Amino acid sequence: MDNLELLSEYTLFLKEEKQKGKKVVAFISHDNIPEELLDAAGFIPLRLMFAGNDELMDASHDYLSPSTCAFAQSCIGLFSTKPNHFRFLDLVDYFIVSNHCVSDICASEIISKYFNIPRLNFYLSYTKNENSLKYFKFELLDFKDQLEKIIGIEIKNEALMDSIKKYNNFKKKLLEFNNLNIRGSEKLRILQKAILYGPIFLPELESYTLKFSENQIQNSKDLKDVIITGCSVFLNDYLIELIEEAGGNVISFDTWIGNNYYYQIFEETVINLTKNPFDLLVRRFENNLYGDHSVPNFLENKVSQIEKICQNYLEKTGKKLRIINHIIKFCDHISLMSAYLKEQLQEKGFPVLNLERDYSRANRGQLSTRIEAFLEMV
Amino acid sequence: MTVFVGIDIGSLETKVVLLENSELLDFRVNRSTFDFKRVGNEMFNDLLERNNLKKSDVYVMSTGYGRNSIDIADDRITEITAHARGAQYFFPDVHSVIDIGGQDSKAIVISKKSGNVIDFQMNDKCAAGTGRFIEVMAGALEVPIQNIGELALNSNNPASISSTCTVFAESEVISLFAKGTKKEDIAAGIHKSIARRVGGMAKRIGVSPLLVFCGGVAKNIAVKKFLEQELGFEIMSPISNGQSNAQLTGAIGAALIASDQSNS
Ligand code: SF4
Repeated sequence: MDNLELLSEYTLFLKEEKQKGKKVVAFISHDNIPEELLDAAGFIPLRLMFAGNDELMDASHDYLSPSTCAFAQSCIGLFSTKPNHFRFLDLVDYFIVSNHCVSDICASEIISKYFNIPRLNFYLSYTKNENSLKYFKFELLDFKDQLEKIIGIEIKNEALMDSIKKYNNFKKKLLEFNNLNIRGSEKLRILQKAILYGPIFLPELESYTLKFSENQIQNSKDLKDVIITGCSVFLNDYLIELIEEAGGNVISFDTWIGNNYYYQIFEETVINLTKNPFDLLVRRFENNLYGDHSVPNFLENKVSQIEKICQNYLEKTGKKLRIINHIIKFCDHISLMSAYLKEQLQEKGFPVLNLERDYSRANRGQLSTRIEAFLEMV
Repeated sequence: MTVFVGIDIGSLETKVVLLENSELLDFRVNRSTFDFKRVGNEMFNDLLERNNLKKSDVYVMSTGYGRNSIDIADDRITEITAHARGAQYFFPDVHSVIDIGGQDSKAIVISKKSGNVIDFQMNDKCAAGTGRFIEVMAGALEVPIQNIGELALNSNNPASISSTCTVFAESEVISLFAKGTKKEDIAAGIHKSIARRVGGMAKRIGVSPLLVFCGGVAKNIAVKKFLEQELGFEIMSPISNGQSNAQLTGAIGAALIASDQSNS
């Protein structure tokens, strides 16, 4: 199934869910929005996880400066132009305004305001100290209030706990799938679809895991294995194609809709021992130290996490991983740290390519030269 | 096989070289035009004919912007790797390379130990810091492109060009001209602006001597001089038999890589 089919199929899915009386809540896809609360309240979470193109970026310039990150530009462009395959955007009932970064908050405010989608607020602290965790809990409770006002009934702790368990199990299965040794494009395609649909995709994910576990790459000697960190490779992006055309194979996605998402798993015992589900969500936020929305030690944490992944991979396969740090143009979160990240990983002997790009078609040739040269280099 | 052909299809010019036992036998340089596949094929056939060779006598390695589109190539390599290898042909101890071509510029760092590329940086898709920038500015100043470098070196008071964007810089040049600023001062400002941009990119990845300057723009003496000022050390140009081979470095590198591969 190609991406266009997936998008059309997703429109049908959302239509059916809406016919059942469900409401759709969209948000820009990073890694701290408590989907479980949405799920417990009976909403369908819709992650904006779609790559842009020239037309989408151009369309956003009516609202924001071209020096806003290309992903946020494209999110605005999607609502402004509503391309054919994105009909499901008409089905969005609420939009979450959140502050993962400045572009996130600007784009989500604009989408809510100018495309007349009622907003829900969910703000995040950046630090992980006592006060900020308290603040995070307040935000969770406030978010719960906002949702309860819409549905008119209380969201019970039991329902939230069930949703947490459901998502936890889903993330475990995503991680299991992620660990299969298959082509990166295939892996990404399934992971993207799974994360777009959410836990409802679990049976399909399990059957893919079964199918692919019997068809793993046996001899990958000629493939140059890559880990992508930094910004996510979103749906409809040609980046993975370029990497594969250059002889590379992405084995891990260390990004918002990759590790950052499905590494956030609770041990069963932790779930069983915690009475209040909000404490679980706070704990998860506290432990999410590898995402870019985490100061002051994001860089150190990221470096040590990538180092660990690379070392485990070397032990398991005898192969060295190359690191592509994917930087969507004007993404301050990722680009500000990129020079340090590269320097620190290179000092440890890991090859790193800082790959900055926007979504324009004209970029394709140059991107492919940079990727090929990087893979030739090692 | 002892004869290797390197074809470097750049956005502005195509370069084809013929190497035998690592010796440059012959070469051709031509405009790539929009139909660079045809141009590349014609130049290749011409080179073979002039040297009494058949396609089956040679191994062809393509590089450059159009490397994937030329079907006579037996293999392909990026211009980054090709330029690094080509620079080693002229200066075996090279540690860094700056290549400024028609539409892009690159800085490359080579390991002193292994001789392999260990880091590189390319300009983004904008034309600032490339041959195209000089071409547009030469047009604005109405100076033939081959003379603009020399003109710039006559300046005692280089003008300041602050825009890095080609379009804005062109308007800046026109308005400086309208204000009566001397052509040589504007030309010097233009070259300094390129040197600042490319030099900044190169410094970010830690270039150091011995640095080889190649690509079509390396023939421009003013860019070389201002780059040296920007970097703070002397840079080398690939020259043989008194002729600049700056433009051929990528094609030579591609042919050498083909030869290395066949030897290994
Ligand atoms: S700036 Fe980066 S973190 Fe923020 S919306 Fe853009 S891609 Fe996401």
